[in-house]
Amino acid sequence: MFFLSNALLSGLGNELAYLDPGSGSFLIQLLIAALLGVGVALRASWSKIKGLFGIKSETDEDAEDEEAIE
Amino acid sequence: MPKTKKPSSSIKLGASFRDPSGFLFTDEGILYRKVNHNYAENYDCLMESGLYAKLVKAGLLISHQEVKQAWAKGDTAYKVLRPELVPFISYPYEWAFSQYKDAALATLSIQKRALKEGMSLKDASAYNIQFVDGRPALIDTLSFEIYQEGQPWVAYKQFCQHFLAPLALMAFKDVRLSQLMRIYIDGIPLDLASQILPGSTRLKFGLLTHIHVHAGAQKRYADAEEERAGMRGGMSKQALTNLIENLQATVRKLDWDAGGTEWGNYYDITNYSDVAFVHKKEVIAGWVERVKPGLVLDLGANNGEFSRIASDREIYTVSSDFDPTAVEQNYRRMRKGKEKHLLPLLVDLINPSPALGWANRERDSFGQRGPADMVFALALIHHLAISNNVPLSLLAEYFASLGQWLIIEFVPKSDSQVQKLLKSREDVFNEYTRESFEQAFEAYYVINEVILIEETKRTLYLLQNRE
Repeated sequence: MFFLSNALLSGLGNELAYLDPGSGSFLIQLLIAALLGVGVALRASWSKIKGLFGIKSETDEDAEDEEAIE
Repeated sequence: MPKTKKPSSSIKLGASFRDPSGFLFTDEGILYRKVNHNYAENYDCLMESGLYAKLVKAGLLISHQEVKQAWAKGDTAYKVLRPELVPFISYPYEWAFSQYKDAALATLSIQKRALKEGMSLKDASAYNIQFVDGRPALIDTLSFEIYQEGQPWVAYKQFCQHFLAPLALMAFKDVRLSQLMRIYIDGIPLDLASQILPGSTRLKFGLLTHIHVHAGAQKRYADAEEERAGMRGGMSKQALTNLIENLQATVRKLDWDAGGTEWGNYYDITNYSDVAFVHKKEVIAGWVERVKPGLVLDLGANNGEFSRIASDREIYTVSSDFDPTAVEQNYRRMRKGKEKHLLPLLVDLINPSPALGWANRERDSFGQRGPADMVFALALIHHLAISNNVPLSLLAEYFASLGQWLIIEFVPKSDSQVQKLLKSREDVFNEYTRESFEQAFEAYYVINEVILIEETKRTLYLLQNRE
């Protein structure tokens, strides 16, 4: 359904993963990631288009993550 | 340092049994974490990838030392660690809104940094976050696993239940709903959160997907084992990073306006004159400096005004109150001032946090996490004795169980605040006198000093536990 690949199916069983991740919770992650992927792609093209007209895109607010603490 | 002795005398901690990677135990009062052989590869990756050093430097993970003594390892241990101690353990149902939000963001920040170093969090329990030096930090060193390309986030469901659902409920419904975490040990079930949340939250992409649609998917695909197997390998690292970043953005947008308070601006409306306020602070400061406590428990601390007499002297102080607004204000002030010795906590003394979880041994009750060296009960006793009808002898008994020293303020019936409490009800409190108060407390304490606060009818007592 969503970029499913069975290639890595075997050998991924991890005995340390002691939580039940839940089938629905696995599936929904793929769905959200797919939607976000589309969003990211759209935004990238949009900023390219804006770039053609000399409009600067806003800065990445997530630069926060490598934070001041470093 | 621990002496050489048999590990059989060690005690495994009640909260440490779910994860097969290792467990916590104490030996001669010192806390250790055992790392099992099955976790060896992951532990080495954490230490060698540089992730451990980076997280510790950023204050996001507590540090540890590897214990070299042979007794510690035994046959089954790969390593034994001695973790940095957390001064006072707190639980999510005791956190103010912003405290909870910061804990959620810390977890996501850790996951993002882990992914960069080729690891991933294998759990996202709110109980693994504790406040150290005034900031949220992960205390479970064994929460990391080597990231496998294509895997979705195994702790996603737990993150949503432990962090996103309670925060969304607090932000969009009622801040008191954090108390659902007391009932559900593994976080608030998403179908329940989805039902309680206002319909308008479906218009927000983050909450629509991570809570509402997620809850529906959990129900629909509960038994879809093959489908899950098929999905493994379906999520690229970039897609996973996008998911984490979207969770970050969703959490950041959650907010709670701490207006409309019962006690929030108590100090502005109270009948203390400036002289009385300063005198009260001076007396407490003098006693704190005399006793030199290591840990202070301020009960009914409001926004932490008096807690700071201790915490500003670098004495670790738990600043508890039952009003979410007061605790929120206390936490925001602490964060703004980068205060390191204060822990604002939401605790209702009428019904303090109980022992919870399996065999009631996973989470300690509020009292079990002490005792403190010193307890503050300032402008508190009239609320407990009159508003809540708790007899003075029971107050003395409980306070005595919480710590060695007690600074308590006796507020007599003639005080205007007490008069206010008695206005709407019959005065059945014949016992509420200074003489009965002293008698009740002397059963547990020796009176060390008594000082009348200037320009008030209130008295401060320094009491020392008889035990």
